[in-house]
Amino acid sequence: MSRETLRPDDSRWGPTDRISLESITHGFDGTTVFEDVSLAVEPGETVAIIGPSGVGKTTLLRMLALFLRPDDGIVRVDGDDVWALSKRDRLEVRRRVGMVFQEANLFDASVRRNVAYGMQVRRRWADRLRRHVERLLGEENRRVIEALELVGLADAVDRNVGSLSGGEAQRVAFARAIAYDPDYLLLDEPTSDLDPRNTAVIEDAVTAARNDGIGVALATHDMNQARRIADRVAVLLDDSIIEVGPTERVFTDPGDPRARKFIDGELVY
Amino acid sequence: MCDGVAFSEVAMIGPALSSQPFVELLSLLSGIVSEPLLVEFPFERNYVTSIIRVSLYVSLAAVAASTLFSLPVAMLVGFTDFPGKRVVVAVINTGMGFPSVVVGLVVLFAVSNQGPLGSLELVFTKEAMIMSQFVLATPVITGVSLAAVTSVEEGVQDAAYAMGGTRLDVALVTIKEARYGIVTAVLAGLGRAISEIGSVLIVGGNIVRADGTSITRTLTTAIRVEARQGRYETAFVLGAILVALVLLINGIVLHLGGTGRGR
Repeated sequence: MSRETLRPDDSRWGPTDRISLESITHGFDGTTVFEDVSLAVEPGETVAIIGPSGVGKTTLLRMLALFLRPDDGIVRVDGDDVWALSKRDRLEVRRRVGMVFQEANLFDASVRRNVAYGMQVRRRWADRLRRHVERLLGEENRRVIEALELVGLADAVDRNVGSLSGGEAQRVAFARAIAYDPDYLLLDEPTSDLDPRNTAVIEDAVTAARNDGIGVALATHDMNQARRIADRVAVLLDDSIIEVGPTERVFTDPGDPRARKFIDGELVY
Repeated sequence: MCDGVAFSEVAMIGPALSSQPFVELLSLLSGIVSEPLLVEFPFERNYVTSIIRVSLYVSLAAVAASTLFSLPVAMLVGFTDFPGKRVVVAVINTGMGFPSVVVGLVVLFAVSNQGPLGSLELVFTKEAMIMSQFVLATPVITGVSLAAVTSVEEGVQDAAYAMGGTRLDVALVTIKEARYGIVTAVLAGLGRAISEIGSVLIVGGNIVRADGTSITRTLTTAIRVEARQGRYETAFVLGAILVALVLLINGIVLHLGGTGRGR
């Protein structure tokens, strides 16, 4: 199901529902990383961010995940300028955004404990009470199993993460990010170290999440992958997003000659 | 009592072996034999058990207090950047090698009549010994815990943060990830405390009651006294008990560690 067919019939989202960077400028140690970068990801779409290694794809995702505050510009989630919010409100916003990293970064515990973690860190009393009720009713376990089923690892729920292969670990990391039902999902080259089978499982899971209404931002240097699963593609090059648009249009008819060179593998950087 | 029977069997064949330290060690460690012993030992059992009790009390209390102090410090230093952080880390690392007699001297001065804690009248008490062992164990527990905490992969902390964790959540995840290192730190601190002699001798005074039971005499200070008085058998048995205690603690931690990994 394409984004265009998904969204118009869906009344779940308001007109401002998106996660976005607006005119972001940022640098490290006097070196500019981004210059006037803008990008938005809407619910129910997958946006692939492509670009050469070291161009700042991870930094861009970390800004969307609120790890980093930009030097200038606005990060918005569903209309809110998140860095203008109180710390408490910003925490609530963070809890609506999930992230999967290049490494699985699992905790040294069972698969179940890892996947349930996102549901367990809610600290408001009402949330705690709800969590205990959910646990009593088996709701937490149901969501853990559901998330693991999405990546084909429901049978591994009681295994220790030390016994997982690299691909399985990354699939658990994906399940962990999706289990607490985030509105937006940020994926930082989640399949770069995986074999085709594990890559396919995660790509299917990404598509399922997107079809379920989650807005997905995917940083990848695998252009075939971007072409397979993204609704839109943004090309990050020379400190800014030089091209953004529907996937097929960007790959077949990019407006910026640098984007054309990068896609054709002719760009020397 | 199964253990008692087992001991008695050993004790029955004991006369020929009574000079062997391991028989004496068994009798001491059993501690539950109600029958009169058939082996004549070169010391009073009460004397040895009181020494063990004092050693454990002082060392465990010092290590417990030190752990409560050291862990938050390690977390604070590990998690935050502040001016002078490198100096603090250098001081912690230097503290691991503090000469114990100097620590004893400083603590003795602090609790003496001329010192700031003189009014508490702690000279030659177990509390003063706890203080000196606290000072000795704290840099060890802090330093090793700090190393354990800072060795936790940043990605794991990022994952906790990305799932909506607060700074406290991230800290708790870090402690869980570093738990084996932290246990090692506590053990290292306990090892330093229980095997230490210089400072406890200075601040504790190595005192026994008229009936021979210990007031501030520990295993290490007792070994020194027994060796100086030529009672090498007793000194060796006390030494064996000291080693056995350390082995026992290590064994428990290894067991717990093995169980933990299986979760």
